[in-house]
Amino acid sequence: MPDYKDPADFSGVSSGKGPPADFSGVSGGASSTAPGAVPVTPKNRTYTVAKGDNLSKIAKSFYGNERMWRKIYDVNKQVIGKNPDLIKPGQVLTIPDA
Amino acid sequence: MRSLTSRAATVAAILIAASACKKEPPPPDPVPPPPAAEPVSVTSIDLGKAVGPDKRVLNSTDDFGLRDTIYASVSTTGNTAGTMTAKWTFESSGQTVDSTTLSISPTGPAVTEFHIMNTNAWPAGKYKLTVMVNGVTAKDKEFEIKR
Repeated sequence: MPDYKDPADFSGVSSGKGPPADFSGVSGGASSTAPGAVPVTPKNRTYTVAKGDNLSKIAKSFYGNERMWRKIYDVNKQVIGKNPDLIKPGQVLTIPDA
Repeated sequence: MRSLTSRAATVAAILIAASACKKEPPPPDPVPPPPAAEPVSVTSIDLGKAVGPDKRVLNSTDDFGLRDTIYASVSTTGNTAGTMTAKWTFESSGQTVDSTTLSISPTGPAVTEFHIMNTNAWPAGKYKLTVMVNGVTAKDKEFEIKR
């Protein structure tokens, strides 16, 4: 009779990236000796809702802080509707800068 | 009366002769051709905790404290208008900490400073600054924030 080994244990494996950190208090700036230096306002990022997502999870992913879900909801009320807990896969949300 | 008329005629003759001998202004110097267009190129990135009026860091370092403002002096050559972006990343989580873009119109060598500050304490760890010109990565610089 063959001697089957127990399945390998991969419970300790991770993707290599640490948990998100909180950068909600960060701001940046720039200036230059080059003439005519003007800041360029970046377009807001977008995110397409996937199955299992909620605003807290999305906020934690982008800002490192799940409490910033309200920032995402305020910008996307017309897309999400009155209930911030009801987001649907496929909805495209605008992710404002922190 | 005769002598007065004669004198006036003499003066008039002298003036006419003087204007006839007046030198023509020299032709203007030929306008030099504009310098050849040279794309912007990043030559160096220096990090530090403060910059001077010339946008250069005062004391270059790659180690920062939890409450420091982090400055980057980016030296460039070139004279073509475009954009320069500084993207700051926290390496352990891959998060983008901040991204700032400037539209610039350099006429030659220039220095651009980018900086980030945090009202909270920085998460300790390794970070990376990526400088892009017109959306294309030009140079990277790693640094560390320590407790």
